[in-house]
Amino acid sequence: MIGRFLRLTLRGLADFRLHPVAQLLTMVAVAMVTLLTGLILTGFHTVNLELLKSRGQVEFQAYWKQDQSRDAVRADWDAIGAMPHLTDFATFTPEDALTELASTLGESGDFSWLAGDNPLPHSALVRFAVPPEAQEEGWAARLLTALKELPGVDTVNYTPFQTDLAQGWMTLSQVVIWPVLGFLGLVISLVVHNTIKLSLLTRMDEIEILSLVGASPSYIRWPLLTSGFLQGFVGASAGLGLLAGVHSLAADALDFAPFFIRIPFLPLEQMLMLAGGVTLVAMASSWVAVK
Amino acid sequence: MMVNVERLSYSFGTHWALKDISFTLAKGEFLFLTGHSGAGKSTLLKMLYGALPVTRGRASVAGMSLNTLKKRHIPGLRRKVGVVFQDFKILPHRTVFDNVAMALEVRGMPRAHLERRVRAVVRALGLDTKSYSPCEHLSGGEQQRVAIARSMVANPELILADEPTGNLDFDLTMHLMDIFKQFNTYGTSIIMATHSREVLDCVPEARILHLQDGRVVAEGEQPPGSDTCSCPPAPDADMAGSGDDTDALLPEGGRS
Repeated sequence: MIGRFLRLTLRGLADFRLHPVAQLLTMVAVAMVTLLTGLILTGFHTVNLELLKSRGQVEFQAYWKQDQSRDAVRADWDAIGAMPHLTDFATFTPEDALTELASTLGESGDFSWLAGDNPLPHSALVRFAVPPEAQEEGWAARLLTALKELPGVDTVNYTPFQTDLAQGWMTLSQVVIWPVLGFLGLVISLVVHNTIKLSLLTRMDEIEILSLVGASPSYIRWPLLTSGFLQGFVGASAGLGLLAGVHSLAADALDFAPFFIRIPFLPLEQMLMLAGGVTLVAMASSWVAVK
Repeated sequence: MMVNVERLSYSFGTHWALKDISFTLAKGEFLFLTGHSGAGKSTLLKMLYGALPVTRGRASVAGMSLNTLKKRHIPGLRRKVGVVFQDFKILPHRTVFDNVAMALEVRGMPRAHLERRVRAVVRALGLDTKSYSPCEHLSGGEQQRVAIARSMVANPELILADEPTGNLDFDLTMHLMDIFKQFNTYGTSIIMATHSREVLDCVPEARILHLQDGRVVAEGEQPPGSDTCSCPPAPDADMAGSGDDTDALLPEGGRS
């Protein structure tokens, strides 16, 4: 049984040389489909990484109550300084704030007459960068609450743009990207299936004769499955090789102002999924092409 | 009964290719299907080896009912039936040995036994000097002998031959008919479609079923004295084996 299985497998591999041009063209087609899909996936991956850089960043402006002592405010600042995912923390005493305001306004900003009765509170600009794995639902709101709960804090403002962007990207992922990837999978399946099926037309005589002499469906299909595996695997590997070549040429294509985007190569798991998917479709096509 | 057909009909759309065909074929019997092109001969043969389904009427071949034949049973039917076509249906890029061995490989026959059996049949059909030549390098007559060898090598109970000599000249036709007759004498039933008078004359004892427009219009044996066939010797020295060699067509250890 195992000997027969091995013999059929070897026959499938040996049959590869029977119609070399057809086999080569099939593999080229499979490689091209893999390359195109890889390029699209690389585009998604690049956009995803770029958005990931800004995703999770949020900036708060905190103002302390007027009657707070410097020591109490410093205690709050220490507490903020110990908060996780803090990236930037700029603090302003009322005097600093007045100086900052004056420098911002230039020549017209002379507030020396306010020095004895400064109305500005202690304040701070606090920026966090929360990585995706730590972004549980409502993470930005929790940071806001934590800041507001500090004993001396009066008000906290924040710009929701970055959190909205993150949320928008997640929505985009769910609404657009998965259907697009599904469509891509369908296109791969159809193109690879039809290519393999067309390549099997060159072997229809053999299939018919095997059927006439009483070969079982598995006896007929196993060598074809082996050939399909080889066509899919070699074609997908060649496609990924071409993708690596294109990537080496175009990795820096967007690395200039104002983008400064370096295009990354596909992560390993995406490469394996692409090659595995194409190989599986090729095998399945070989199996179902003979009815 | 090797073949039992009762009121068999088959249509391609609205065109009836076969209409109410009935006949039987005993073990070891030789039956000719005659009629013009389009009479239904090939359709009938296709139904008998399971290439077309039996949807009207009843039919059984080698003890297998074609009415209840599932797709998974078709290989089993085809292992009992050898089929020969006018256009040979051999793989041109494979050798003579490979083409003939194919019929035994699908049965899972042990390699040593397979090689012995294939060599014997190839020798019996005068192809031993070309065993390892690709079939595309052979003449038409040689290619047809390869097809016949493949159909006979597994000792089928029944051979269905669809105009097997249609592409061959007279001498080759006579020689191939000799091979069929030889195999028939060993007890193998044969149904052969033809519209060649010369072919009919080669087997005077055979029954004839004459089809026209899908119907049987005449049935019976050939009239006495119609044996005008004088099968000539092989046209060339390497074409056929000796009488001893043709004995290799005898079933080896019973039918497989």
